[in-house]
This record gives sequence, structure tokens and C-alpha cells, in this order.
Amino acid sequence: MAETILSILRKEQKKNGYLSESLLKKISIKTKVPVSKLYGTASFYTMLRTKKQGINTIEICGSPACYLNGGLDLEKFLEKELKISFGQTTKDNKISILKTSCIGCCDKAPAMLLNDKPVTNLTEKKLKTILKRCKSSKKPI
Amino acid sequence: MQILKKTNLKALEKAIKIGPQETIKILETKGLTGRGGAGFPTAKKWLFALNSQSDEKFVICNADEGEPGTFKDKFIIENNPETLVEGILIAATTISAKKAFIYLRGEYSHLEPKLKKAIKLVTQKSKAGIEIELVIGAGAYICGEETALIESIEGNRGQPHYQPPYPVVKGLWDKPTIVNNVETLTCAAQAILFDDWNTYLRLFSVSGNVTKPGVYELPFNVKLSEIMKLAQPKNKVKAVYFGCYGGCMPYKDIELTPENVCGESCIHGSCSIIVVDETNSILDLSYVVSKFFAYESCGKCTPCREGTIRALMIVRKIRSGQATEEDLKILQELGEHIGQTSLCGLGKSATNHLLTSLKHFRHDFEERLR
Repeated sequence: MAETILSILRKEQKKNGYLSESLLKKISIKTKVPVSKLYGTASFYTMLRTKKQGINTIEICGSPACYLNGGLDLEKFLEKELKISFGQTTKDNKISILKTSCIGCCDKAPAMLLNDKPVTNLTEKKLKTILKRCKSSKKPI
Repeated sequence: MQILKKTNLKALEKAIKIGPQETIKILETKGLTGRGGAGFPTAKKWLFALNSQSDEKFVICNADEGEPGTFKDKFIIENNPETLVEGILIAATTISAKKAFIYLRGEYSHLEPKLKKAIKLVTQKSKAGIEIELVIGAGAYICGEETALIESIEGNRGQPHYQPPYPVVKGLWDKPTIVNNVETLTCAAQAILFDDWNTYLRLFSVSGNVTKPGVYELPFNVKLSEIMKLAQPKNKVKAVYFGCYGGCMPYKDIELTPENVCGESCIHGSCSIIVVDETNSILDLSYVVSKFFAYESCGKCTPCREGTIRALMIVRKIRSGQATEEDLKILQELGEHIGQTSLCGLGKSATNHLLTSLKHFRHDFEERLR
């Protein structure tokens, strides 16, 4: 059976950082799936990005369990530290911050995904260290 | 824990030996029901798929555990993936499917290596000739709904459609398809093999304002006070949420029977308990949950797409101190309409939390009115 469109899009995103219009056109030629359909699929899913992202992506969980354990303060902290709003990327292109629905780490709240990997029991101190590492690395940490 | 018991391919052996009809009969006798939240009898689902005539059939394991406050499927994938894979093989063997899928939510993609290893190990050892493909989702709560999940595997936007036809008749690529939850399939293998398997034991995901959050295996109708004893709340408990879709109720020491929970206008569903203590306003939580549903609405049907955003706007207005009694009335009415007229389970349950909040915690809303 042929590879599913979803996994093709995930793979291409991993390789290229995000699914640009020109990239979707290339995938369309290869897969013979209309580019409109590819864009429709890509734009539907939160984890598929049609806009350029920073080297590191932080997705902070906004679920009730994280909220009840101080998630909101961490959201504010991130915006203040990086001087950007959610959905934006830092000027040096090192970090994008996004909000996500529940990531299933409610027993270790508050939590976030850092480049698709969970980081749990978050504190401001922990976040600060992570941001520092992101800033000083040329590759995703 | 019962859920951690390994079946070591003995359950599959037994299922092959006794044949599909007897296998299904065991599940029926043991009373296995869907653990994703809907509670549909598993034996019935498998029997429908068995009786559907087709040259090709599929089994899909629904590992798109997106309900906030739910992490029991993750627990199974982390701790007993081999038995899960065996459950999938049993389902496929029973309905004569040659191919199965595991749809793992994108947020759990870090579990991919572990799951892949279990798939390889168990399928090779079993010699059942069934292929299991792992499909990773990409962040959409709606894809936990079975028809949306099927659309997603087919490469489309994950939007649900009307049922019937049910997936057991017309599912993946229009072929008869079983869609079962992770816990259901794991339990299926265990129910077939172990005589003392107990259907009343469930995995509870407990989180929120507690010092010992986690997955607990407890009887389905356990008393709420028992859960609190284990999870140890930090302060006096004000409310419990049954995930986001199940609504909320004031904390009282009741047994979690469907009747009791239903009596509070809540849904027990997938056994998620989010504990909220006195220091919180239910209005603030309503805002958090409303944001979730407005964001996760797939956009297909109007009541859910437009309604969840309107509901969020009203909750925001109440929080800002600009709302009046009239707004509460509209919120109530809107909540009822969205629930009654939406296409799928997401929309139907998207305002449960608001309706139950207004019923049980109206004061938290009223004190912020203009």
C-alpha cells in the first residue's frame, strides 16, 4: 500500500522545516495529488506548519490540568522572556512559541513539547535553562 | 494491575484455535465494552465486521488520545505495548483482516520507537501474516472520532461524517473496518486468555490540583473519596471535571455509577478525573475549556464551528465584567443548541462543561456580572 499523505507531509516537514507553497507544489507533482488538497490537509492539522518556523519549536500545553498547575504563568513568562507573542518566532530565528491542546502529560503538569518531545513538571527556572540552550545552539536541541 | 498482564501470544493462539464466533462469544460473556468513552459492546462491533461481506477488511487501533486529562492509553503503550499489538492481531484474525493500522496522535510521536519495536516483535513471532502500519497523526482532537480518523488515514482533512453507514460496514477506503481504542484492544487479548479477567476494572487518569496524579486501576463505580485518598488533593476539593467533554460537578462522595454521574448531567466516559480545588473559579476553567473546543472544532458543521466561538466570546465577556444576566441566558440557550444540533460527538459534548458549570456553579458566573 502506498504511503499515506499524512506521513509524506510529516516527513517533508521534518526535512524542510515547514510546508511552503513551493514545497507542496513539488509534493503534488510527485504524488499526483492536487496541491489544493495537500494544502487543505496541511492547514487542517496543528502540527503541520504552512508558515516558516524557528529552529526550535516550543508548544506549551493549555489543558485544564496544566492550567491548574500554573501553566498560564509559564505562558506569560515565555512571552516576556522572548518578547514575542504566541504564534511568532524570535528575531534570531531560534525559537517559535505556540500553544497546543492537551499533550497527555497531565500527571506531570505543567508540560510542553520541545521539538515534538515532552518536557514535564515545568518551572520558570527549567524554562529559562531551555531557552538559553535554544539560543546558543545552531541546531534544534 | 490487570492491564499490565502479558498475554505472550497465548491469547492469539487461543483465538485462532476456537475461531471467530467463539472468540466474540468470550468478549460478550466477559462484557468488554469500548474504553474510548462511548462504551459500545466490543463483541457486537466485531460481529458486525465479521458478518460484513467484503474482499478486504481493516482493523484500526485508535491511539489518538486527545481528551484533556486522559493519559491511560499512553500508559498502556509505555508499559504493555506487546499485549496491545496482540489484541490488534486477534481483532484482525477474527474478522479476517490482513492489514491493521495504529493511529497514534502526533503529540505522542515520541512513543513511535517503542511501539514500532513491539509491532515488529509480536507480528514476526505470531506468524499470523497480518501487517500493522503505524500512522502518526498531526494534532487534531477530532481525529479521535472514528469517521474523522478514517478520513485522516486516507490523507484528508480529519472531518467526521454522518453515521450510518458505520465503519464496520463502510470504513477505511469503503471497506468494513473495526475501530477500537488502545485499552479496548489490550483488554480484548487479556479477556480471551485470563479466566479471572474483570471488566469492572478501569484505568482512571487523575490530574489537576492533586499531589499524586497518575493512572490508577480501580473498579468502574469507585467512590470519588477513594480516588481522592489516592491522589491526595492539595486543598479542599471544589469540583471534578470528567475530561473536558464530560462536564463538571461539585465534589461529593458518590459512587461513579453511570446513573449517579448522569444525575449530575455529566458523562463518565473514559474515566478522566480532573480535580479542581477551592482556590479556583469555575468561570476561569470554563474559559480554558471553551477555548479548547473553539480551537478544536473541525469546522464542518455550523452549530459547532460558529457556536463554540460565540460561547467563548460570551465567557470572555463575563470574565471581563461586562456581561449581564441576559448573556448568561444566551450562553445557556446556545449551549443547549450546540449540543442538540452538532454533527458529531465533539460538538454534541462541546458545551457539556458550560451547561454543568451553569447548573452547579452559577454563582461563579453571577459574581462577575455587571
